[in-house]
Amino acid sequence: MSAVKNISIVLAIAAAAALPTLWPNPYYIHLMVVIGIYAILLLGLDIVVGYVGEVSLGHAALFGIGSYTAGVLHFQLAVPFLLAVPASILVTGLFGAILALPALRVNGPYLAMVTLAFGTIIQILINEMTFLTNGPLGLSVRKPVWFGHQVTGTDYYYIVLVALVLALFVVQRILKSHLGRAFEALHDSPIASDCMGVSVYAYKVYAFVLSAGMAGLAGSLFTYSEEYISPNTYNFELTILFLLAVIMGGRKTRTGPILGAIIVVMLPNVLSDIDLFRKISIGIAVITVMYSAYAVTARIRSIRQLVLPLIVTISLAVSGFFINDISEHRLTIFGVMILFVVYYLPNGIMGFVRGIVVRFRPQWIHRHVQILEHGDKQHVWAVPDHPVTSNGFLLEARNIVMQFGGLKALNDVNLQIKKGSVHGLIGPNGSGKSTTMNVLTGIYNPTAGEIEFNGKIITGTTPSSIAGEGIARTFQNVQLFGEMTAIENVLVGLHHTFRHSLIDVVFQTPRCRKEKNSAEVRAASLLQFVGLADLANEEARNLPYGKQRLLEIARALALNPSLLLLDEPAAGLTAPDIKELISMIEKIRSHGITVILIEHHMDVVMSICDTVTVLDFGQKIAEGTPAAVQSDEKVIEAYLGGSAKAA
Amino acid sequence: MEILAQLIVSGIALGMIYALIAFGYQLTFATSGTLNFGQGEALMLGALVGLTLVGHMSYWLMIPLVLVFGALQGIFVERVGVQPAIKTKSEFGWIMTTISLAIIFKNVAENIWGHDDITFPSPLPTEPLQFMGIRVLPMEILVVVGALAIMLAVELFNRKSIYGKAVVATSNDRDAAGLMGINTGMVITFSYALSSMTAAFAGVLVAPLTLTGATMGVVLGLKAFAVAIIGGLNSGMGVIVGGLILGIAETTTGYYVSTGYKDVPGLLLLLLVLAIKPAGMFGKSVIKKV
Repeated sequence: MSAVKNISIVLAIAAAAALPTLWPNPYYIHLMVVIGIYAILLLGLDIVVGYVGEVSLGHAALFGIGSYTAGVLHFQLAVPFLLAVPASILVTGLFGAILALPALRVNGPYLAMVTLAFGTIIQILINEMTFLTNGPLGLSVRKPVWFGHQVTGTDYYYIVLVALVLALFVVQRILKSHLGRAFEALHDSPIASDCMGVSVYAYKVYAFVLSAGMAGLAGSLFTYSEEYISPNTYNFELTILFLLAVIMGGRKTRTGPILGAIIVVMLPNVLSDIDLFRKISIGIAVITVMYSAYAVTARIRSIRQLVLPLIVTISLAVSGFFINDISEHRLTIFGVMILFVVYYLPNGIMGFVRGIVVRFRPQWIHRHVQILEHGDKQHVWAVPDHPVTSNGFLLEARNIVMQFGGLKALNDVNLQIKKGSVHGLIGPNGSGKSTTMNVLTGIYNPTAGEIEFNGKIITGTTPSSIAGEGIARTFQNVQLFGEMTAIENVLVGLHHTFRHSLIDVVFQTPRCRKEKNSAEVRAASLLQFVGLADLANEEARNLPYGKQRLLEIARALALNPSLLLLDEPAAGLTAPDIKELISMIEKIRSHGITVILIEHHMDVVMSICDTVTVLDFGQKIAEGTPAAVQSDEKVIEAYLGGSAKAA
Repeated sequence: MEILAQLIVSGIALGMIYALIAFGYQLTFATSGTLNFGQGEALMLGALVGLTLVGHMSYWLMIPLVLVFGALQGIFVERVGVQPAIKTKSEFGWIMTTISLAIIFKNVAENIWGHDDITFPSPLPTEPLQFMGIRVLPMEILVVVGALAIMLAVELFNRKSIYGKAVVATSNDRDAAGLMGINTGMVITFSYALSSMTAAFAGVLVAPLTLTGATMGVVLGLKAFAVAIIGGLNSGMGVIVGGLILGIAETTTGYYVSTGYKDVPGLLLLLLVLAIKPAGMFGKSVIKKV
């Protein structure tokens, strides 16, 4: 299959290279150059929109910054092409960082709102800073002269083609690396991602800056292609076009952005030709009517679901005969197209095609790279990144108070976890066990008190840095990366072992390959340890509940923790599985990893814990050996109500 | 000194308009976690519909009709754009659909009312009043009073009426409110109706002061974004203060620096607030439960 794929890629490039000779029309060559430039930008935009799941409404402005950086450097300083292009990438990346660093600190629609404002401001600045940009009059730029040869439109087509192929290649490598995996993980489950040491904030910013850099590359190429730039090109309409292209072509694919670029570049041509528009709109209406008839008779969709698209497509076709100048209604058509894609083609055209192919030839589509590595026993364990220096207590929580409004979920709780022990944390529902877990891992910032772990105060730092210090956890409500395979889940946990840089990824240096290989061996070994070796390439969401919990343990161990927090690991396990779990926890302890265990199965708690702490209503009511705690009156009262003596 | 006072007074009127639009963002964000990227277009449609109606009736009679129109427009946006996206829990979805509805509205308005800006007849005398050398347009006073009045009315409704309680309950915890028998879908639709209604009202308030046209909403909606973020998306007090800060920052920049740069401090302030206190100056940061 991959051979077929490689051949088709080579054929596609060859076909693209042959186009200007087969079709030597300067107008169409120029259109293809623009398509190539847009495709580069869209590849970058897809990282933000498709992989990280944020909406950027500022890519037209970033494109403009790239254009103007090259334009100004050429116009004011006569900087050559080969220097102006990298400079554009850097400058635009920098602007991306200035935008993303504050805007991505909060979840929600903030990035969209900030980038929208940014787009407007950039247009104003380009217009106003006349001394630099020549204002509304625009800048004129000439294509470069290389070795005494003036680069022509056709030559430039090949330059853009090379840039596009390189961009495709680089993006593909990044997205298939641990960076791409981090992007997908943070989109899938942000909380789990943070707790695996993959900082959601940092990687979102990373993705946005990468994407901005690509917009800068596209922008600078655009400047030399058009040879004249003016501020009005980089308006809100262009941003809308870019987003339409990304979602219509198909998110999370390499072909989608190219297809999207072709569509949005050709669209104005279609809209300027009323006859063509009428034919296409009638065609779409006929297809929709036929599909609706089929869907209703085959009972795939209800009539109610189909009413809206039918009305819209038919009225589009009818309106074609009443309108003479469609370009007046251009924005309405873009808007309707976006609505249509969002509701009826959420995975874009490429996603739709893949859906059809999967139905008939499932073996042609690989959603995941199969990792066929076999694990072994000696690769399960590794030394923690931060060796344990403190003797005695590994973790000390002092006077922790966690307040939600008027409710004190934790009230002045002290906790001391002995190094190398298994520390049980029990209590009735709502007693504050999971809150303790969340405070220890930094998901909640305690209202008062401090936590010292391995000689460092960790209160007030982020979950990802706490994970980096060596605290790993599982979740009461399973938080796996559902759309990734089991082994990919573990590889996210191993993210901290990937020390190589973006450059290594792009050039696939020996260092990069070595780290990737050893991580895969390690991941397979961890899966074997928890008994999931056979399910390595299965998507996590398809695993049964009990196995998902085991996978969470494997993923947590991948972090090389010195402290492991297990939140109800036995929930959903059968009796023999529980025995297996107990021996697993004992093995974990024997390798020097301290464990905090929240559990409702008292037999598990009593059989493996060295110390047990009992919480009730956010307060510590007892602590000691399992036997001592079991006979403590306060504990019996908390669990059974009333006093033990009365009964 | 007198000039500065004059700039501040003009900034207040402008800022109250921003606050009113931002207030509309808050209404829907509270109940549904979504907001209408076409809020500026809701304002613009309100102003243009008002302009058409004013040809046939008095300004004061036109206002209730525009409010009804605004509410209907909000319901349309919610039903077509937001509701399906909320069902699929797609943030990308509602952002894109409200944007696309916004550009459709703008385009339709261009085709109905034309590309040129039109003056809106002022219902009050256009002769400025003098207070200690500071000139204030009667219309500016109406803007401030009107904006405060409608915000107050909505707040009173939320606090005092049983329907308002349903809105507040949905804002606090949509799932729990749903389990208590509140039709949260209805509450969200209602909040959109209310939100577009305030925007339409803002439209007819601001129209006599500025020119009316299809593109008037874009910049206003954008400024209100900045206000909502600066003040905090969940703080009623925040939008008023945020609106005033932005309004005054703009009039002073416009005078002391250059009118071309008057929109710039808004973004700088926006980035600064996000960098220092992401929940906004008056916003409470929400703790996400796991």
